[in-house]
Amino acid sequence: MNRRVLLQLVVVLTTTLAVVILGFAAAHARIDAPTVCLGLLMLAGTVLRPRVGQVYRTSLDYVLVIALYLLSGVGSAVLVGAVGALSQDRRHPLVKKVFNGAQSVICAAAGGMVFHYTGGPIGDQVLLHPWDAIWTTTAANATWLVVNALLLCVVLSLEPGDPTPAVFLRKVALPTSPSLLGYGLLGLLLAVAWLSGLGFLSILLIFIPLYVSRWALSQYEAERRAQAATMRAFIQVIETKDLYTRGHSERVSEGVGMLGRQLGLTVDRQSALEHAGLLHDVGKVGVPTSIIQKSGRLDDSEMDAIRLHPARGVELIGNIPFLEEVKSAVLHHHEKYDGSGYPAGLSGENIPYFARIIGIVDAFDCLTSTRSYRPARGVEETLAILIQDRYTHFDPGLVDAFVDVIRRHGWKAAADQPAPDGSVAAAIDHDDLSLGSGGGATGSAAGPD
Amino acid sequence: MANGLTEGLELRRMGSGVVILTAGAALSLVAIIMTARVGMSEWSYAVIFGALIAIGEMVQFRVDRSRNRAPIATSAALGYAMLRGPSVAVPPDVAQIVAVTAVATAAGILPRAIAGLWWDAVVSCRRGVSVACAAAVFGVLAPRDLAWTGRWQDALWLAGAMMAAVLSAGSVDALIGAGQATERYNRPFPAALRDELVVMGRIGLAMGISGILLAAGTSLLGLWAPPLVVVPLLLTQFAFRRFASAQRTYRTTVRSMARSTEIAGFSSPGQNARTAQLAVALGHDLGLTPSRMEALEYAALLSGVGQLALADPSPGGASLLRTRQERQRAAEIGASVIERSGALDHVAEIVRHSNDTYRQGLAKNLDIPLESGIVNVALAYEQLVGEGTGQSPDKAMESIGLGIGAEYDPVVVESLRRVIGRGFRF
Repeated sequence: MNRRVLLQLVVVLTTTLAVVILGFAAAHARIDAPTVCLGLLMLAGTVLRPRVGQVYRTSLDYVLVIALYLLSGVGSAVLVGAVGALSQDRRHPLVKKVFNGAQSVICAAAGGMVFHYTGGPIGDQVLLHPWDAIWTTTAANATWLVVNALLLCVVLSLEPGDPTPAVFLRKVALPTSPSLLGYGLLGLLLAVAWLSGLGFLSILLIFIPLYVSRWALSQYEAERRAQAATMRAFIQVIETKDLYTRGHSERVSEGVGMLGRQLGLTVDRQSALEHAGLLHDVGKVGVPTSIIQKSGRLDDSEMDAIRLHPARGVELIGNIPFLEEVKSAVLHHHEKYDGSGYPAGLSGENIPYFARIIGIVDAFDCLTSTRSYRPARGVEETLAILIQDRYTHFDPGLVDAFVDVIRRHGWKAAADQPAPDGSVAAAIDHDDLSLGSGGGATGSAAGPD
Repeated sequence: MANGLTEGLELRRMGSGVVILTAGAALSLVAIIMTARVGMSEWSYAVIFGALIAIGEMVQFRVDRSRNRAPIATSAALGYAMLRGPSVAVPPDVAQIVAVTAVATAAGILPRAIAGLWWDAVVSCRRGVSVACAAAVFGVLAPRDLAWTGRWQDALWLAGAMMAAVLSAGSVDALIGAGQATERYNRPFPAALRDELVVMGRIGLAMGISGILLAAGTSLLGLWAPPLVVVPLLLTQFAFRRFASAQRTYRTTVRSMARSTEIAGFSSPGQNARTAQLAVALGHDLGLTPSRMEALEYAALLSGVGQLALADPSPGGASLLRTRQERQRAAEIGASVIERSGALDHVAEIVRHSNDTYRQGLAKNLDIPLESGIVNVALAYEQLVGEGTGQSPDKAMESIGLGIGAEYDPVVVESLRRVIGRGFRF
């Protein structure tokens, strides 16, 4: 309750400040050709906003406002910055729209103040004092970034829920700031090209490179999405071999993702871990269907065929330029902490980190899913089994972290599975801890027989 | 080092590359001698732009399938070719531009060659030739005493001359590139030229415009401009690198997934890769656009994926031995699997019809893509000639010829005849 009042207070304060700034800006603004042209461009950008996405818009704001500092002065730049906030995502509530608008006005003004008081050159002076233009605009740009981040942090700390200010700073503000500083220089170039006599034609010179790099980035995103979707589709095909393991790989990927976020992995390793979780059983495609679907216990040679699946998996994904950790995780996800696993019989910390993580989530998802020979276990019951098997099967530290994550965020267990059928002695899951040597594991997890 | 050298300079495989290489080397040599005789003008600009070109060459990266690109080097060289006053009192002449570009390019390639990284002398020579062309066009259109005065008439004239120079450089490069593609992949020249022009309109234009920015900025601000322009250029290059690496990852992912049918025993080792290799050769011969080529390659690689959902592998993966109905069912399943990925709809469509006979499929239904017919023929030919079965190409060609019009698309069979006739072997 208290927080909401504070939040409202912040919004009212920023809005008032923004209105005052706008008044000043309007009084001091020069309405000249660059202001009108770039203002219209900003307006066009706002109309296109829903199509091009938030980050693109931000970089457009930067380029235009910083060019205007140099071309027409701070007042015009602030006014045009305000134009940029006119149209926003329709789904946002009004409060958010007002705050976003106020925020962009305040940021542009803060940057403008720095630009003004450090003696930033305006108009033809830019061409005579290039170094002054470079460092004052960069200072203004940096101020803008800091003020923007500060305002967002205030709001995020008052608004409960994701993301927290720390996460925002680490994941969003810091990684994007170098490129935004770079785009600021593009604004300076726009001003220079304008002053060269090209006038509004300079816009074309600036926006074609900007557009191409955007195109490349969007293609990058598209390729990444395509890859994720393609891997999921393949995993689904491989899982068609066994009705009961359907969705297993995707749930494991989800689970290791949750655990990875808890462990604070870097972005690259986080996505590598999720890939490894998705692909850990991909080698099952090399295990004859007759063994996977076999009823009852497996004999030794059949078990050997199953034990080959991690190596098969690595063989399959070996050429894909993943991080090495993905491959080692796929190879070793059936190792156990006490050294009784396969294929290498590694123990303790010798088991690759990702493999230890996947081992836990793999077992967890298996136990919480229905198998033909037993019903699904409850989440709490399964967590108790995991805790019992710390040291024998799993890395104790990771088990604690995982139990913590699941208790906090909950778990979406497998759904839509056929009910267990007592009359049929059916396929046995190699991941299943609750079975003896015929299945996947031995130990205290071999539940009530 | 030896490895790098042989990769960059493998003369036997280059064909017309030798001509381009000779032309580039001769041009550079003449330019260097002429410049040495007259003397350099404006050393500082030559050094800064030379350094940019060298760095750009060093950080080149691979996009598309086989081509390296060094956008920073290209932009820097184009920028150097279009310098004018007021900052640059004596603009470099064409010979000096070519000489600086050549020396800097060599300086940039050297560390790559020593480190054993992939490099391509032909691509660098192509850049040298097109930069020379841009320099010549710009020199003709913009007199050396024309400067950026701040008057819009001068600015517009200079900008127009720059655009013309950049476009001529792009056109020359596209022509050479199309010639090379025609020679290397046996693509019809118009199709190759069209593809090159499309690429030029995207990456090429960005590089050209960056070159214009670099030239205009430097002419106005002096040596402050190059670092200024390089920052956004680096951002662009970074975006492209990431895109290129994501693309490579995706391609290897699809290839690896295609191998799953081999690991599962549904097809013999290398079968998918061989089928795809032939399908790509046919696609080149028929002049498909790059995006269709890509879909075709994926479809050929993934054509057997539907079998994964079938119970037992057939011995040796000989899908020709099974009934057509069975194969069509597998193709249908495969298509629905591929469709599920949401990213390869076109590939799914190709796979779906890849086992239809020509008479019942393509001949009647115009919606079925030509690529399905290509995959169908490639599958059949691979079955007959590929490892293990080992018929002679002539014999296989003969038996495929029997199915022309009924089983196989006549257009594709004609193309196969040409491809095999040119000596295609697995």
